[in-house]
This record gives sequence, structure tokens and C-alpha cells, in this order.
Amino acid sequence: MTGERRNSFDVAVIGAGMAGMAAALFAAQRGLSCIQVGSGGGVLFASGLLDLLAVHPAAEGRQWQSPFAALAALAREQPDHPLARVDPASIRTAFETFVTALGEAGLAYAPLDERNRKVLTSIGTLKTTFGVPLSMVAGANALDALDAPNTPNTPPRCLLVDFRGLREFSARQIATTLADRWPGLCHGRIEFPGFEDVPELYAAHLARALETGETRDRTIALIRPMLGDAQLVGLPTVLGLGRCREVHAAFEAGLGVPVFEIPTMPTSVPGLRLLGALETVMSARGVRRRRLASVRALAFDANTGTATLDLDGVPGGERVSARAVVLATGRFSGRGLTADRGGVRESILGLPVHQPASREAWHQRDFLDPSGHAINRAGLRTDDAWRPLDMSGKPAWPRLFAVGSILADQDWMRSKCGSGLAIATAWAAMQQLADQLHGNTG
Amino acid sequence: MALAATSVKKTMPHTLFHTALYASLALCVLGLLWRSSAWFRVRVGPDARAVTLSQRLGALLRGTATALFGARVLHILGACFLDVLLLRRLFAREKPRWLGHLLILAGFTLLLLMHAFEALVTVKLFPGYESTLAPYLFLRNLFGAMVVAGIALLYFERWRRRTGLVSVRRPMAAAFAVLLGFVLATGYLLEAHKIASPQAFYRMAKRYSGTTDPGELMPLRAVWASEFGVAFDDLKEPFASNVMERGRQMHDADCAGCHAKPASAFVSYPVSRLLAPVTALLDKGRADIWLLYLHVFACFLGLATLPFTRFFHAVAVPISLLVNASAPNRAFSAAGRASRRALALDACLRCGICDAHCSVAPLARHLGNPYLLPSHKLVATGALANGRLLRSGRESDGFRVAEGAFLCTDCGRCTNDCPAGLDLEDLWQAGRGDLAAAGLPAPAQWVRALPALAWAEALEAAAGQHTATDPDASCAPLSADRRSFSRCVQCQTCTNVCPVVAQSIAADHRVDLTPQKVMNLLRLGLRDLTLGSRMVWDCATCYQCQENCPEGLRVTDIMCELRALAAHRLGAVRSWKAPS
Repeated sequence: MTGERRNSFDVAVIGAGMAGMAAALFAAQRGLSCIQVGSGGGVLFASGLLDLLAVHPAAEGRQWQSPFAALAALAREQPDHPLARVDPASIRTAFETFVTALGEAGLAYAPLDERNRKVLTSIGTLKTTFGVPLSMVAGANALDALDAPNTPNTPPRCLLVDFRGLREFSARQIATTLADRWPGLCHGRIEFPGFEDVPELYAAHLARALETGETRDRTIALIRPMLGDAQLVGLPTVLGLGRCREVHAAFEAGLGVPVFEIPTMPTSVPGLRLLGALETVMSARGVRRRRLASVRALAFDANTGTATLDLDGVPGGERVSARAVVLATGRFSGRGLTADRGGVRESILGLPVHQPASREAWHQRDFLDPSGHAINRAGLRTDDAWRPLDMSGKPAWPRLFAVGSILADQDWMRSKCGSGLAIATAWAAMQQLADQLHGNTG
Repeated sequence: MALAATSVKKTMPHTLFHTALYASLALCVLGLLWRSSAWFRVRVGPDARAVTLSQRLGALLRGTATALFGARVLHILGACFLDVLLLRRLFAREKPRWLGHLLILAGFTLLLLMHAFEALVTVKLFPGYESTLAPYLFLRNLFGAMVVAGIALLYFERWRRRTGLVSVRRPMAAAFAVLLGFVLATGYLLEAHKIASPQAFYRMAKRYSGTTDPGELMPLRAVWASEFGVAFDDLKEPFASNVMERGRQMHDADCAGCHAKPASAFVSYPVSRLLAPVTALLDKGRADIWLLYLHVFACFLGLATLPFTRFFHAVAVPISLLVNASAPNRAFSAAGRASRRALALDACLRCGICDAHCSVAPLARHLGNPYLLPSHKLVATGALANGRLLRSGRESDGFRVAEGAFLCTDCGRCTNDCPAGLDLEDLWQAGRGDLAAAGLPAPAQWVRALPALAWAEALEAAAGQHTATDPDASCAPLSADRRSFSRCVQCQTCTNVCPVVAQSIAADHRVDLTPQKVMNLLRLGLRDLTLGSRMVWDCATCYQCQENCPEGLRVTDIMCELRALAAHRLGAVRSWKAPS
């Protein structure tokens, strides 16, 4: 069917952020024909790190060594939380499936185990996360040694390197911030080969330049004299875009020590890599993408439950029909929810949004209140099968599902569970959706 | 003498006929020589100016020799048959037009050979030939009808495929078509009149039967009245069978050798029926003589004026097609290319197929500038080359021609679709070179002469003075509308994915702004600062920024719009110096 224009699908996924991508991937894995509508722009803000659940309860800011222990606590204390409604075994399978697919598309991840990892950020803080790209895992391993309470070992000596003109990443800043916790951390700066005259550098351009052997060799040659007795080298995330595995391997071979990338500030190379890999995955699995399109109208047939989507942003417009629809449109920045003076609305169908009773209740008095704001827990409530509810508390449509950050009763930013929420709910909803479709077709 | 048809010999004084014939022939030959000499005189493109006349003539000789004796001679013969005679290129593109053209070409050529050159060709090839015998009566009518049908079909097609675009002027085309129609009409009328004319009957009867006595000729007249359409006003059908019998014997004895029944002249014969009531009057006025004069002199007029009308393409197009066939992959020397461009100026049929398929035709409509369209551009390119375009006081024409030349996207459809096989791409490129030499370079060139800030200042300084209307929101729908850029969060994705910024390494052609800075200037209401910026003018329109923008901004579309806006607004404040 490749290349042929078709207009009826098993599933239409609206949204191409992390949740939409996961939903489309899982639909395709289950052999369902799938069309995905929306720009992948949300993914560009990703760091490449796949959080599952790092903080619980958010108000206390308690970090967890094991995401599954955190999930168990969440299930006890906040049973309404969407993550608490997915069983841990499914979450594990969902992550494995997601990460395996990315690996096939050239973006390899370190094997997932039971624990959360600590990863260095570009401002010198430590971030707790679950899925770590292979190119970043050497840093996480080093931090294991640093963090282990009773280890006699000193953490490995590490050289951080940055590039003159790359404003988003300063090796010295990281080293300074971590100086008292990581004594063996030193830093250096080099001119990026071929860009010596350019005042301002952009990480993606460097990443692309490093995919050519010559630039790569010259860069390695510039770093090698700075190594000293360093056992480890940290770089900003510039080691290639589509060919990051090859570039990373070349740096480790050339320098003779483990090399790790430190995620740069979004939006940058990690987001571009992730988007590129996801697009490869979608394309390889036959998901039809309408990346510059938006849904102008979505209607369900009252008898058959089949959805009709009218798309804008496709030359001449397009109308497709789908037996089931997954809403993965996100909250405010994804424009799945629209806020105005009167309250919060769901943007496409006007579904009822679970939200504070009045605008005054949206925020706490203190903007930085660790327990977060009520508006950050607004969203769609669903039944057990992930179907958003209408005013009467019943599923709005039999085969309309909602996944990801548009769901109510979660504050993924404070819980550090964005990817977990996206991947786990997409998996669980797709299971229900597949059951429904099979049940209906016999 | 040999050329003149029998009827002409009998009617027209030899000296008059020959003087007129040779005079018009001489005019035609001189005209052809003058027109074709332009192929070696006219210089289109800066490279053509570096080539001398002798180099161009040398290229012609070499090219001709290679064509005749080289390996491609079969190829050229094939082109002669398929491209020139059967109009293959037109067949592949527009079949109705092809049919119209082929009808005219075939009808006209066959009339010329069989009828105009009858003493030279037909009599020699077909010993028993008489213009009044079958099947020549029919064929002559058929060939004329083919020409008429072809002309009608072409005009109908032109009307049916009207695009709403301004058609390029076609000087003398209509006049020449009228002349051609006049030749055909007088021919048909002359034949019709001679069929019906008793005067002609008696003249022939005197010659072949030796009598003009109506009574003696009665049986023959009866046969010719009932079967050959002569309009005797003193006879009435039906005729007695014995009279007819006798008449047929007389006919067989004296007439049948040269005369077939005229009903096969399927145009002239019905016309002769229409003329029957006035035949006596026409006979009296010697219509046979003046119709012949009109017919023959109209032909001479056509012959003499042919090189000076658009119908010169009948000469130029075949040559152009054969020249194409002579060089594989259109590989020509600089001298050959120069001549070929000049030839293209003459070989353009003004058929408008290129205009109808032009990628920027919608833009031509929107801007009201026909010089975006290939056929207009071709005329302007010629006018620029021979100095007519930029005569004093016509700077505005120059600007419009330059706008047309530089908005062309070089998509190549015009070249691909040209039925005459003209290399229009090459012509456009040469024309742009001429425009640049005339002080009208591409906007991308003159904009780069000043930094963005200087342009913004020039706009500010001119704000009070010039009255050129600032394009409103309808012309700049994106950059004038906050909603198209206010969502920008300055995330830098556009810059990260921009290959132009990535390659902007050397200091002398580094972009001054990045895409996200352009968006930021728009947010700050400083659009004028972006208009002359390198980023806007170096943008490769690869659409990476637009496809990757997390906020869905139409970054590339905005860049394109800014460029168009800059060409318009900066063009109004820049000083243009006419070439010395």
C-alpha cells in the first residue's frame, strides 16, 4: 500500500508529541492501519531522556531510585493518577517496545533495568530519569559511583569539553557547579574544526558536520592532547544526528576512553534525533503522517461509531475516516486545551475538561509552590478504557480515546513522568482500542 | 512562363504576370535574406556580444557541413520527416492544434504543388492532367477546404483554451490570415463562376466545336446545363431524351477529354449553384478576368509579404527543428548558441502554449505584469537585444521586464512544451545577462549591494517622499499579520535545521541574521530591517525551518514573502542608473 493515497484507517492519532508518536507506534505494532495528524514539534523539546516516574509526591520533591517503587507508592496514594491506572508489567513492556523501535531507527538506548539513573545536565545539575540514550550512559555510570553512599572509590576523572561559540553549553559552568561533589572533573574548550571564523555556533550544525569523517578526526585530534589522565570525556550533545551511534563509537575509539554526551537545552540535537528516529519508525511501520496538517473538524457517526476527520494544511484539504480516534493533543503548549477568561476547553470536540471551579483557583499564591498548581492537573477524565467522559460521566464516543498529557489528575512536569505518562497511557489505551475493534469485527 | 497555369496564360498579359511574379519573388527573397541575416546579427546575452559575425558564419558553415556529412544525417532526415512535416512536437502536446496546423500545412503545400505550380509539377508528373478533370477538381477543393478547416480549428482552439492571460501581440498575423482566406475565396469563386458561366461555355465551344450558334449547340448545351451546371438563362429542364443523347455524343467528341462533371468540386460547385441567378451579370462584368487578377495578385502579395509577417515562422521553425536535430543534447558552440537565440526570436509562433503552462502565470495575473509569461518575455528579450526596450523614457518597461525575468523559476516547462523546440531556458538566461548589463540585475544582486541596515534607513528616508503604495496586508498576508509569527518562542529550531546558516562559514558571505532572529524582528515590529538581510535573500527555501517549527510557523513562506516585498519596496527606493 506504500505511496498510495488511502482515506480510511483503523486508527487516527491526533497529535505527534511523545504520546501521539507512542500511540501511532503501538497501533502499527498491533497491525492496525494508522494515520497520524499533527506536527512533531513537541518532540523537539525532548531531551532524549525517557522519564518514567522520578518524583513522588511532587510536593515533597522526593526522588526515587526505583521508578517501579515510585509507581507502587503512586498507586497507593494517588489512584486517580493516569500512571497509577496502568499495571507496571504493561509499562515495562511499553518502554521496551518503544526503546527497541528507536534502536532500530538508529537511536540506541542503554538496556532498561529496574532503576532510575542520574544524568548530568548542561547547567551542572543532576536529573533523575529512566531511559538513557547509549551515547549518554557513560556519564550515568560515572554518576553511579559518585552517588553510591558507601563506595570507597573516588569517581572517575572526567574531562568536559565544549566549543568556542556554542553558547548553549559551557563545560566550565558544569565543572564549577559540580566541583565539590566531583573533584576529578576538569574542563577544556576547543575551536570546532572548520568553524573557526564563525562567531556563533549551533549544535545541530556541529552534529551534522561530525557525521563527516574528516571533521570528526580533526575534532578528536584536538581533544586528545587535553585528555591527561582523564578516564572519561563528556561533550555536549553534538555527536551526529541520524548517525549518532557511528559518531559516538568513533569518538570512543579515537579517544580511547568512554565518551558521553550531556543533553543540551531544548530545542536542540536530542529533540531532532528523537524526531528523526520516530519519523523513521513511523514510516517503516506504514503509519501515514500528515505532519503539517491540523484537524478542522472531527465527527463520529452515531450508529457505527466511525469517525470522520477533515484536515486543514493538506493541499486541497483532506477527509479521512477512522474506526477509532486517539486524542494525543497535549495540554496548553500542544494546544489540546485552550484557556480563556471563561475557563479551559478541549480544542477539537469541546469535551468537558476537569478543571478548577474558578480562575482564582487555578494557581497557588506562590508561583514556585512545590505542590504545584491546580491548573496543572486539569485535563480530560476517562473511563477505565481511556475514553474521555462527556458531561454525564459516560464515554463521549465508544471509540474515542485520550492519552498523554491531556489527561487530568497528573502534573508530569513536577513528577518527572512525561515520557512515562505518554508511553504507558498510549500502550494501555491501544490495548483497549484493539480489543474494541476486534470485539466489534468479530 | 512555365510557371503560369493555362488559364492564367490565356487571360493575363505575359509581361504583367511575369513582372508581378518576379517582383514579388524578389521581394520575398530579399525579405528572407534580410530576416535570416538577423540570425547572425542580433546578439542576445553577454556571451553573444563576445562572438563576432565571422565566428557565427563559421559556426553556420561548420554546422551545416557536419549536419550534411556527419554521423547525424539520418537523425536530421528523421527530424525533417517527423518534426518538420508531421509536427511531432505539437502532436505530443496538443492534438487539436496539431491537426489544425497539419491541415494548413498539407493543404497549402499540396495546393501550391498541384495548382499553383501545375505547369511545373502536375503536368509533368501526370501526362493527362487537366485542371477540369477528375480527380483534380475534387482534390483542389479538398486542399483548399483543408486550409480553411485548419485555420478555423486553430482559431477555435485559441478561443477554447483562452487563459485570461494577455496574449502577446501578433503583428500582421490576422492580416495575413485574411489574405490567405482571400486567396482561397477568390479561387473558389473563380472556379464556381467558370462552372456556371455560359460565356466560358461559348468560348470553349468556339474553340473546340468551331461554332457559337446557340441552336446548333443546343444538344450540347442541354447536357452542360443539366450535368455540368452551366446557367443558360434561355434553357429550361427537362430536355427530351433524344436531345440529351445527341448532346452526349457532341460532349464525348469535343469536351470529355478535358472535362469531368464538376459536382466533385464540393465547394465550388454548390457555390456555382448559388451564383447561377447572377451569372449573367457576372459574365457581363467579366468576373472571370478580375477574379483571376484578384486571385493571382493576392498570391503575389502574400509571397512578397511573407518574410515580414509572423508567418516567417514557416521558415524559421523548420530550421530551428533541424538545428536541434543536428546537435546531440543541444551542445552548441558559443557562436552557434548566439545564432540559435536570434533564430528563436523569429521561430516563436506566439502560440501561447508556454504561457498556458507557465509556473508563474498566476503571479503574472496577480501582478498584472505580462512579462512574466514566456511569449511576452521572448518579445521583450528581442526588444532588449536590439535596443528598442530601453529607449529613453521607457525605464518602467525595463523594470517590468526585469521583474518578469527574475520571478521566473526556471522550471523549464516552457522549453519542454515549445512546439518549435526552442531552448527558452537558454534565452531567459541570456536575457537576464542583458538586463544585468543594462543596469537591471536580479534583485538578489542589487539588494546585496547594501547592508540590511542601510536599506532600512533608505526606506525610512523615503517614507515621506515617494508615493509608491506600500503593499497592504493582502500583498504581504503573513509578515503583516501578527498571528503568523507571534507564537514564535525563539526556540532556535529553525536556525538549527537551516542549511544556509550551517554553511554560512566564510566571513564574506555569512548570513547577518538567523531565521529565528528574522522572526524576532517581525515580533518587534521591525520588518523593514529584515528586507535587505542576507538571511532573507540567501534562504534556499528548503522548508526545513517550516517543517520543523514546533509552533507551526510558516517560516519559509514568510521568508519568501519578505523577499518579494523587499524586491518591491527596496526597488522603489533604489537609484537606477541607465547604462551609458
